[in-house]
Amino acid sequence: MLRVQNASVFFPGRDGGVIHALDRASLDIDANSIVVALGASGCGKSTLLNAIAGFLPLSEGSITLDGQPVEGPGADRGVVFQKDTLLPWKSVLDNVALGLDFAGLPPRDRRDRAAELLRLVGLEGFAKSAPHELSGGMRQRVGIARALATDPKILLMDEPFGALDSLTREQMQELLIDVWARTGKRIFFITHSIEEALFLGTTVVVMSPRPGRIVARFDLDFVRRFAAERDVHAILSDPEFGDLHNRIRDLVHRPHHTAVHRAETLQ
Amino acid sequence: MTDAARTTAESLAAPLTDPAARPRTVALRPFGLDGARTGPISAVTGLLLIAVWFLVSQHRLVPPLFLPAPGEVAAQFLSILEDGYAGATLWEHVSASLLRILAAALIAASLGIPLGLAMGLNRWAKGVLDTPIEFYWPLPPLAYLPLMIIWLGIGEVSKIALLTLAMFAPICLSAQAGLRSLPIERVNAALSLGATRWQLFRSIVLPSALPEILTSLRIAIGVGWSTLVAAELIAATRGIGFMIMSASHFLATDVVFVGIGIIAAWAFAFSYGMRLLESWLVPWKGKT
Ligand SMILES: Nc1ncnc2c1ncn2[C@@H]1O[C@H](COP(=O)(O)OP(=O)(O)O)[C@@H](O)[C@H]1O
Ligand SMILES: [Mg+2]
Repeated sequence: MLRVQNASVFFPGRDGGVIHALDRASLDIDANSIVVALGASGCGKSTLLNAIAGFLPLSEGSITLDGQPVEGPGADRGVVFQKDTLLPWKSVLDNVALGLDFAGLPPRDRRDRAAELLRLVGLEGFAKSAPHELSGGMRQRVGIARALATDPKILLMDEPFGALDSLTREQMQELLIDVWARTGKRIFFITHSIEEALFLGTTVVVMSPRPGRIVARFDLDFVRRFAAERDVHAILSDPEFGDLHNRIRDLVHRPHHTAVHRAETLQ
Repeated sequence: MTDAARTTAESLAAPLTDPAARPRTVALRPFGLDGARTGPISAVTGLLLIAVWFLVSQHRLVPPLFLPAPGEVAAQFLSILEDGYAGATLWEHVSASLLRILAAALIAASLGIPLGLAMGLNRWAKGVLDTPIEFYWPLPPLAYLPLMIIWLGIGEVSKIALLTLAMFAPICLSAQAGLRSLPIERVNAALSLGATRWQLFRSIVLPSALPEILTSLRIAIGVGWSTLVAAELIAATRGIGFMIMSASHFLATDVVFVGIGIIAAWAFAFSYGMRLLESWLVPWKGKT
């Protein structure tokens, strides 16, 4: 289990002040769950993800993965960034195999495993392509395959579909659910789209800014239903979906002091 | 589609003037050059310059001592090609210069690249090396030429040292710039794929800096050619730079022209070769 306990982050601000980017966030990510952090820009979502990934030390609090404290980046946590970070000098296949290369796997095994992952994300025909020959959506698929290659315990995704057009985005959401259903990976996913959060999350945590806080938490089953029935319409037209959409919308748009108040009643 | 809708759609589209003709293609109006072709213009300019040269010397507008006729220069080139100049064949002059430039480029690159990368990565390397480099690199090579002679003598060592110093700074500075342009997300992605420090350096840092390093090598070799005459002022008996300086003592302007032409041709060839090398080694440059 990935456990975040009372995590706080302060950044140095201008003229000697501090920016309170994350305020005592606590979060558990269990096996086989997709935890989605939802909130407007600037509410500390990336800060939380960067801390879990080990890119950013915490000011206070702790993060543990299966009981081990997180002290830096490592292959047990795969990361998918919003902007793709594929290496332009490597083919798609070699990009996917990068982590296996770092792990010292022999070239043959690397290629086999990478090819298998490309199949999983629906890119089997593009192994030899260069990253710049792919569309934005395809590049994110490569990013997902690459992050899965080292068989991490958790997948961390920071607005991975944020730069995609809405049609591609829907395809990518379904792809991610497929990958999740097949690999059973737990996922921490960041978005500022309420619909995306509701559709993907087994748990959605809503965050509010200044200071960045988790103000509400919802446990959902839309994604499990989609994985089982594959019926988007049934989910989108479910009155509960619309109802939650409205509630979260109110929560996100509510003035901050009210949100903080709500957070206190929730805790 | 209903009939009414179809009629409207068809009548909205004006008929093509000539269905067989290729339609006129358009592009966004550019600002600045935007990759417009300049090659033919440059070629014509070159030919025009030669034509002017011809006319000026034909009509003796300038004394031949100042501006020899193109024919004379060509004849002088052939004669040097045949009989050599100042006791050495043309190829001996050329190869002496080439050897100095290539040796200096090799030394400058094998010091400049690692030191530049170290300066981009390490506070101490940056702090210590910044002072001497920032101090010396704006100096004209002719200014420290006497020091090279006093310290290193009049042999090959001082010539190559002078060229190396001139080439080192641009290579070292761009290796640093190459590191600065490395996006932190790329580093973080590699670390979360389990890269060790060394793997990070070899698989991410070095290839990311490679385009800038190659560009700087091209610039450095250009700097080498432009410093060549200064280097060969040092008691040389071979070299294109020496040939030019020696000819100037005898007011042999046509030989000076031959020397300049040879340097220009080699410099152009090197620059072109480096571009080929770039497109082969870093084909991804400018993409994503
Ligand atoms: N490196 C940093 N230095 C200073 N302030 C930062 C830094 N990174 C983020 N912040 C600030 O912390 C807050 C949260 O940022 P972030 O986690 O990126 O938000 P989100 O991802 O939810 O949009 C913002 O106010 C942002 O300006
Ligand atoms: Mg963010």
